Amino acid sequence: MINGKDTVEEALRKAKAKKVFLEGNFVKLLAKSLPTDVKAYTEECKERDTKARRKRLEVNKRVQSQNKELEEAAVVKEALVLELQNALDDAEKLRDEAVEDLDLMQKRTQFELIGLIVRVALIIIVGVGVTTTLLYTTAMLADKDTTILGNAWSNLFGILLTNSFSIIGTIMGVKYATEKNS
Amino acid sequence: MIDSILLVDDEDLFHLVFEDACSLLDMTLSLEALNSSDEADKLFKQWFEEGPIEERPECVFVDLNIIGSSFDGIELIRKINSDYGNGVVIGIISSSDDNQEIEKAKAVGAQFWIIKSDEIEPRLEDFLKDYSGYEKKTAPFKVYK
Repeated sequence: MINGKDTVEEALRKAKAKKVFLEGNFVKLLAKSLPTDVKAYTEECKERDTKARRKRLEVNKRVQSQNKELEEAAVVKEALVLELQNALDDAEKLRDEAVEDLDLMQKRTQFELIGLIVRVALIIIVGVGVTTTLLYTTAMLADKDTTILGNAWSNLFGILLTNSFSIIGTIMGVKYATEKNS
Repeated sequence: MIDSILLVDDEDLFHLVFEDACSLLDMTLSLEALNSSDEADKLFKQWFEEGPIEERPECVFVDLNIIGSSFDGIELIRKINSDYGNGVVIGIISSSDDNQEIEKAKAVGAQFWIIKSDEIEPRLEDFLKDYSGYEKKTAPFKVYK
């Protein structure tokens, strides 16, 4: 073991015997005027230190470069995630618009159907009304018996009136309910 | 050979790279590395106000963006040159080559700008050749690309 009484030369010789090689800049501080055997040892230490440092430098550079690549990849990944999120938002917006369009189309079809029903119903109501009125008027002008026709006419008008109110009520109800939902 | 060097950089891995590169190029025997500009500021303030001034490094390499610090490398250079008596060779070592930042560094008294890359040794070698000029304050500001 190296102790406090050892000179630098003795300490270096002991280290050499134990095959312990000095590392770091301390080796560079050792004077070149050391005895030949010690000098040879310190030179070997320097050589080994340089070799080890070069190797470490290469490894660290590689790690540094890999870290940089990973950081760049993380940035790209983040950008992709953001892009994907935006695409998802757009898709959701389009889907909502499509659903809204479909709903609107369905409502339009319903309104058209209701309109058709109302038109047909009105035609029938007016048609029946006009026909029975014409029949009743003709019978009256021709001085025929109008007892049955008169009762039928008034009954028919009552029924038609009730039915037309019922149709109007239904239409208004449907319209009110649809407006409330939208 | 430079008597002593101080590196201020937040990246520990770069401390090792820089230390090994300096050793292989025989740039210095004494290298200290700090992680933040606040630590460096504290040390320079202490050396300036209380001493000993001899403990101050001969040359300082500062990173531009030091994560986890209150201020960047340019502000540290300004503080060292304006508030703590100048007297050291100082410059930036950064992966950035932003002209605006380079001009800012030059304006606060940086003497050089070394761009960090995988091949740092050739740049440090060139820097070492110009070093005596920086020491005498005769060499113009230079960017090592």
